[in-house]
Amino acid sequence: MRISTSLPTGVAALLFESARRLRATEGALTERLEEAGYGEVILPILDYVEPYESMAVASSRAEIYRFIDRDGEVLALRSDFTPMLARLLAPRLASLPLPLRLFYRGDVVRYEAQRPGGQRELYQLGGELLGVPGDEGEREILALFLDLASGIADGHLQVVLGFAGALDALLIQAGAGDPARLAAAVGRRERGAVRASSSPLLRVIERGVPERPEDLGPAAATLRRLTLLREEMAARFPAVSFHLDLAEFAGCHLDPRIASGEGERPYYDGLIFRAYAGAAAVPVGGGGRYDRLFGALGADVAAVGFSLALDRLLDACGGPA
Amino acid sequence: MIRLALPKGRNLDAALAAFGAAGIPLAVPGLSSRSLLTRNPALGVELLSLKDWDLPLYVSRGIADCGIVGSDVLEEVDGDLLVLLRLREGGCRLSLIGRSPEAVPAPGGQARLATKYPNLARRFVAAQPWGAEIVELSGSIELAPLLGLAELALDIVQTGRTLAENGLVEIATVEEIAPCFVVNRASYQRYRGRLNDWISRLEAAKVAA
Repeated sequence: MRISTSLPTGVAALLFESARRLRATEGALTERLEEAGYGEVILPILDYVEPYESMAVASSRAEIYRFIDRDGEVLALRSDFTPMLARLLAPRLASLPLPLRLFYRGDVVRYEAQRPGGQRELYQLGGELLGVPGDEGEREILALFLDLASGIADGHLQVVLGFAGALDALLIQAGAGDPARLAAAVGRRERGAVRASSSPLLRVIERGVPERPEDLGPAAATLRRLTLLREEMAARFPAVSFHLDLAEFAGCHLDPRIASGEGERPYYDGLIFRAYAGAAAVPVGGGGRYDRLFGALGADVAAVGFSLALDRLLDACGGPA
Repeated sequence: MIRLALPKGRNLDAALAAFGAAGIPLAVPGLSSRSLLTRNPALGVELLSLKDWDLPLYVSRGIADCGIVGSDVLEEVDGDLLVLLRLREGGCRLSLIGRSPEAVPAPGGQARLATKYPNLARRFVAAQPWGAEIVELSGSIELAPLLGLAELALDIVQTGRTLAENGLVEIATVEEIAPCFVVNRASYQRYRGRLNDWISRLEAAKVAA
């Protein structure tokens, strides 16, 4: 009898040196997280699908592996830590001391059907900070993420910064009844499709930000704050390249008149960041603020977090993990 | 050095002509559909020659920073690439083909549709009042309706001459296709200034669609 040694598309085994390398890196990072006051939580790989249907994660549904178990329950393999953590913590927050600093690690499994080179299983390590609103929370999480990631990427880290809803006013103004379609064109940097609609959006495509912050309308103040945050982080992490690019997150909206963008983590409602390492073109991590995710679960708490795809990061920085 | 993936076949000439017109002379001696990797030191560019269907994979994975690929392939494989520009020249159309317009089933009816674009075909059929079984082929799509493997085909049409010579008709244009200048998200941030300069020059040369 011949037994196949192949694995399904999009998954890989880490054997010997690559496993040792991943565990060594993971150990160093978790030690650093514990030093920073973050405590570990261990979450299950299986969960019910139903609770998430009412949360702000609808556009991620297509990537969930789901099945019916023997009891007739629809279950899903874990595709994202953050909503699961929010669901488990929201009812318990009243009895927990804030701020709360947590970290997790483990696999997430996502259905990546058509994208070339799509990876279906990622090994993530992430941190979540609850109960620290505004700039202070965002500064802590972003600095922690940069500290962890730049230590591995060693001078080859690029971080793209933006925020949810940044372009909402411009998109509604120029979107001619279909602002989500215009948002998709901005996200793909299609100048030709945007030129006829809006010159401020064209400037965002070309430069990442508008000519003047005021062009964003109510979001201008957030852009000014983000510009300061970028300057501060650039001074603290001189080896990291920072890009303020609102077009990168054009699909992440706050205004209900614009349909949620496909493929984004749709729960972000403040700062969003995404990191690339080495020559790799897929993000090795990212994060942001997601207060509304807890809000949807009845908990009024400031929440900001990050995740790092450790296998991708190691792959991007010197061969397979 | 920016690594630019150039397509083999119909889009190569259009790409070289467009960049040449914009004052970005990509072509170097020896560059052809058969050269695999060529350096253009004057431009600071490394040129990679790839088949259309492989190109989005190379760019998505960061092996190439950017490339030129038909919008048909781009939409079929969905590589999460940024589409900076569509070129004016080298365009064609994705069309519904059959032996006659009567090959299209009546509302509620069913047909077989041959194509090498199964995802685009599914999206197209989903918007029709009739259904279709998608028959996925890798080439010579026109043969399918001609010999009865399928009643309809969804394929690229440039001049329509091949169809006419074989007794087929273009029933409907589904989508206009153009060569697209694409880049992955990480390279876009890394080379933003140079890429924006190229785009501005291509637009000024009026080679953008």
